[in-house]
Formats: sequence, C-alpha cells, structure tokens
Amino acid sequence: MPNFTINGISVDVPQGTTILEAAKTAGIEIPHYCYHPKLSVAGNCRMCLVEVEKFPKLQIACNTIVTDGMAVKTDSEKVKQAVTGVLEFLLIHHPIDCPICDQAGECGLQIYYMKYGLHKSRYAVEDKVHKKKVQDIGGQIILDAERCILCSRCIRFLQEVTGTGELEFFQRGDHSEISIFPGRPLDNRYTGNLADICPVGALTSKDFRFKCRVWLLRGARSICPGCANGCNVEAHFKEEILYRLKPRQNDEVNKTWMCDPGRLEYKKANEARLLTPVNRENGIPKAAPWEAALSSVAFRLWEMVEKHGPGSVAVIASPQFSNEELFLARKLADEVLRTPHLGFSLRTVGDGFADDFLIKADKNPNTRGAKLLGISEEKFDDIVQNVADGKIRALLVFGNGIADLSDAETGRLLANVPFVVQIATNEGAVSRAAHAILPSASFVERGGTFTNHAGRVQRFWMGFPPRGKARSAIEIITGLANRLGAGWKSGGEAQVFRAIAQSEAPFAGMSYESLGELGQTAGGKG
Amino acid sequence: MSPSFSEATRARFERMLARYPDKEAAILPTLHLAQREFGHLSGEAIDYVATLLGFTPARIEGVATFYTMYNRKPVGKYHLQVCRNLSCSLMGAEHLIEHMSRKLGIKPGGTTADGTFTLSTVECLGSCGTAPVMQVNDDYHEDLTEESIDAILDGLRQEHG
Ligand code: SF4
Ligand code: SF4
Ligand code: FES
Ligand code: FES
Repeated sequence: MPNFTINGISVDVPQGTTILEAAKTAGIEIPHYCYHPKLSVAGNCRMCLVEVEKFPKLQIACNTIVTDGMAVKTDSEKVKQAVTGVLEFLLIHHPIDCPICDQAGECGLQIYYMKYGLHKSRYAVEDKVHKKKVQDIGGQIILDAERCILCSRCIRFLQEVTGTGELEFFQRGDHSEISIFPGRPLDNRYTGNLADICPVGALTSKDFRFKCRVWLLRGARSICPGCANGCNVEAHFKEEILYRLKPRQNDEVNKTWMCDPGRLEYKKANEARLLTPVNRENGIPKAAPWEAALSSVAFRLWEMVEKHGPGSVAVIASPQFSNEELFLARKLADEVLRTPHLGFSLRTVGDGFADDFLIKADKNPNTRGAKLLGISEEKFDDIVQNVADGKIRALLVFGNGIADLSDAETGRLLANVPFVVQIATNEGAVSRAAHAILPSASFVERGGTFTNHAGRVQRFWMGFPPRGKARSAIEIITGLANRLGAGWKSGGEAQVFRAIAQSEAPFAGMSYESLGELGQTAGGKG
Repeated sequence: MSPSFSEATRARFERMLARYPDKEAAILPTLHLAQREFGHLSGEAIDYVATLLGFTPARIEGVATFYTMYNRKPVGKYHLQVCRNLSCSLMGAEHLIEHMSRKLGIKPGGTTADGTFTLSTVECLGSCGTAPVMQVNDDYHEDLTEESIDAILDGLRQEHG
C-alpha cells in the first residue's frame, strides 16, 4: 500500500489509486469536471491540476497514480493560480445565463467559480462565440450547446455505458460543439443520466425544465418503484409535490445510473391520487372519516366471514407494497380473516421490456419480497376463478390495478363481488368499482423496504407525511385487524421489520441498522 | 438517393482498409476517398462512410468537421485555397485574397454563381519558402503576385469555358 502526503497529511491508499480519489480519503476536495468515477478518464478539463514534488509541471490529479512517498499539494499558490486560470478559460465563451438555466444551484461552474474563481473576466461579452440553444436532441434531454465546457462525459457515457454513441464534438477550436448527427436523436433508455453527469447546464432534463429551482427542493433517500431492479434513488420534492428522481449511488445495484421510464415514476405520487377514504352507499361514493370507513369495512368483512365462512373472503396483495405491508397483509389474511385466498397480482406495464443492464421485465419493486414472505402468485389465478364463479363475497384489493386486466375486464370481474375494498394510491378501474377505498401513502410518504429481483432488501425513507387524508398501509391494515379483534400493537415500519426478521427465515438477522443505506441480500430462495 | 462508391473506389477502399488493423485509423483516408468520389461530404456521404466502417455517423461527422480539408458543402470546379498563415501573410497574402475576392465577386468561403470557383483561406500549406502560396485542387501555385493570379484564373476560366 503506497503511502503519500497530501497538503502535509499522510495517507495510505491501495495500489493504483489516482491522486484525485486518494485526496477524497484524506477529506480533500480536488475540483474536477471531466472525471467521473464510473467513466474512463479523459483528462481534458484541466481543473484538477495539483503540484507533485519533483515534477517540473503541475499534474492532473484524475490521471496521476499515487506512488509511495509522493508529496502532493493542492493548496499552493501555483495550484490556485492554475485552477483559476483554467476556470477563466472554461468560462470564456460561457453565456452566463444562470437566471434562465435549470442547472443553477447545482452547477459545477457556479460552485467552482465561487470556490476557486472569483476572477474578473478579461474577455469581452460581445466577442463570445454563440452556439445553438434549446435543442431537443431526443430522449429526456434538452441541449444548450453554448453552455457546454467540452468535458466529454456525455460522449463517454454514450460510448461506454449505453454503447449507442449519439453525441460527439463537431468542429474545432472555439467552434467545437457537442451535438447529435442531424436526424439521429438520442436512442437509448438511459438518456436522463446525461443531465445528471453533465457538470453544467448544457444537458438538462426536458421533464424538469423550468419546473422548480433546485435549491427549493428537499430530498429523501428512496427506491425506484418502477421495476424489480430496485435502483437506489433520491426523491426530490417541494412541500407535497415530487419533482424528480435522481439516481443514488449503489455499486451493487445501479452504480450511479437509472433508466428513463424509472425517472418518470414520481408522477404517480402527484397525479390522480386517492386522498380521502370513501364509502359507497347505494352506488354513490361518499367521503368518510377514517374511523367510520375502517369500522364499516371491518364490519362488512366480519359479516361475510360469519355468514359465508372465511372462504368467502379473498385478499389480492400487490408487489407494489413494502415487505412490512405485505407481511401484515399476510397476517391479516392468515390469522384474522383466516381465508385461504391470499395471492398477489403483478402490475404489468407496456411490453414488459427488459435489457441486460438495469431494466427488468417485472415492473414491480417487491415481487421477490412478496414471494419470500410466502405470498403466492399462483394463488392469484385461483382467486380470480373463484371471483368469476361468484364464490367470493368480499375482496380486499391492494394496489391501483389488478394484474394486466384492462379497465373493462377489471370492472366485469369486480362486478361479481358484493363487497370490494381497495387499499391504494391512485384512481383507476379498481377505485371506480370499489365499495370502500382506503387511500394509502405513496412511496415517498412512508418508509419501508423492498426486496429486489436479486433478493436485496433495501430501505426507502419517508420524505413527507401522507398527502391529504391518506395513511400508510401499515396503519390501515393494523386498524382493520384490530377492529376485527386482533389486538395488534400499533407501530411503525421499523417495528414490523423487527417482527419479520424474527419470524421469516430469509430475513433472519436483518435490521434497519444492518440494512443501512444500501441494503443487504436476503437468504433463501424466493 | 444515398451515395455509394463506384466499383473501382470500392476496390481501393478494400485495399486501403486491409492496411489498418484499427478501423478508427481508416476514417481519414476513407473520407478522402469519399470526398474525391462525391465532390464534397454531404450528410448522406458521412452516413455512408459510417456504415462502411461500422461507426455512428456522429463519430464520422466529428472527424470530418475537425479537419478543414474536408468540404462539408459543395465546392466549385476549382477550389482556390489561399494560405493566410504567417509567411504568406508577411509576403502579402492578405492583399492577394482581397484582389481575388474583388475579381471573382465572392468572399472567402463563397462560390461563384457559375460554380467555377470556390475561394477559401487555409492555414500553412507547408511551402513557406515560396510564399505566398495557393492550392488549386491538387496543384500548388507559388510566389504569387496579382498578375500571376490573374493569369492563373483567366487560364482556368478558358479551360472551363
Ligand atoms: S454537454 Fe455537458 S457532459 Fe457533454 S461535454 Fe458538454 S459539459 Fe460535458
Ligand atoms: S431499472 Fe427499474 S428500478 Fe431502475 S430506474 Fe428503471 S424502472 Fe426504476
Ligand atoms: S478532472 Fe482531471 S483533467 Fe478533468
Ligand atoms: S505560411 Fe503559407 S505556406 Fe507556410
């Protein structure tokens, strides 16, 4: 292990570590634009210049490997001057249109200018070379060519990660410009990442464009609910509105990336939400207070069990729900309702596209979790058959839709059941048919865990309390169970997870602490 | 219609390609072949070269626009490339360029209405010893004066006539 000093601090680093990475372990920031930990090193922006003893010239930290006994300075006068000089060059043709730029507030140029620049530009504004602004280059991206600092991160991403190579530099010198070949827009399902890795406002998100200033947003650590991959994300919101999802680094799952469809998953938490409990009386849906809604649902369920036996009640769970919620749903079915009819339905989306990178065909975040908790997918068909045969008198549906049934099919199916209760977040065919709706919290309005396709149990955190009158499904299920005489202790997701770890073998030994930010793999097969 | 190489050019291309273990290195010579064959490198020509070599058209466009000797726009029958670099400038290239502009009625970068001449300014042609210099298609004309330029242009016009 080479030992070296950086600004006088002595550090041991693994063989082959660059000065830039090594500096991080010493808590020293070296400014950089073109370097990205998940891309090849280009070494073209020159922001990372540092002084290395015995080297006649300044070296780029991103491409210089630490050797034993090396002495590096990042804070000498020589380095400061060089970095300010580089920044001045990078800003020569920059339009400085921060007031109309979405990147403002999280822009590499702004941040480094305040830290390392603060120089007066010696270049006349009228001499700046102008390039094309506001170009829709396909995917989720808008290109503003004159804001680009030619770091080539986007080019490397499209060559090394997606392998599609749509962006290149054209022309040369101060006319160099990033662009697509005319008529060949971005053509891959990961374009949103370009806006993340572009250190400036040259590549920005079409979807997020002009929606909100980034410094007004707050973030919650979360998991993308878009498919079984379980990409780690940061959910950005203001008050009760979600604005965007950004990937959160987890090298075991998604590195620093996420897919385009996943990025738009946040919309469902904003739109067409079920926000108040509803009871349908004589066909007319009426808003009800929670107490009344829960009591009347519990009463109807009890009534059916009493009159027609537990076999007349069925529960359709959903892998859109967390391990904690599914665990309680199972307990409700097994121990309280004592019905044999518990299964889960898979949400299917579009063509079920999958690739060998992140996107999985299963568009549910917790299918593996449902299976590991012993809820069966096979039972689902059986339940549907029983419903169609008119054998089910009361049906508890979790989630916004039932498998891949169309709206019409869903309506026809549910028409066979005298009493349908739904626990879900969004309006749809089920909510139009349900006799009672118990609105539940979206993925950012509650905490919990999902188990991804590979069995990795990952936490997501609450960003803000449930919107409107919605409640976490844990509260809803517990409320129903207790009204049916279960006598469960009420508690949050942490308590429920402790119970899971105690009784469910695949989760044995796990705790929220051991899961941490990045999760842990469940034992056993699912 | 999308362009494609004649049989003869295709054969030259194949022979040339065999000399480059790394196909990326074959981009420049292939672009030269294409420019010779098609006159200039249109978007379609770039696309054609991209398909031939197995790169994205963006990659080829990046290379083609980096080098000034690839013509992305159509040029006249005679492409007058006048050096404007140091030695030639010291020897009066600036005045010669003005003279030619006036005589042809076009600015550098322009093409005469009849499509005979395109006037361009270029960097050092590597013939500083005989500055000022211009290259007309593949031929060098050295030690230029206003008079010699008049003679060259008139001669070419007659040939074209
Ligand atoms: S568009 Fe952004 S990522 Fe791409 S080269 Fe320019 S600054 Fe870098
Ligand atoms: S791959 Fe799946 S989990 Fe990852 S961002 Fe896309 S939809 Fe979300
Ligand atoms: S980060 Fe080192 S040269 Fe750009
Ligand atoms: S400067 Fe004109 S040929 Fe060298």
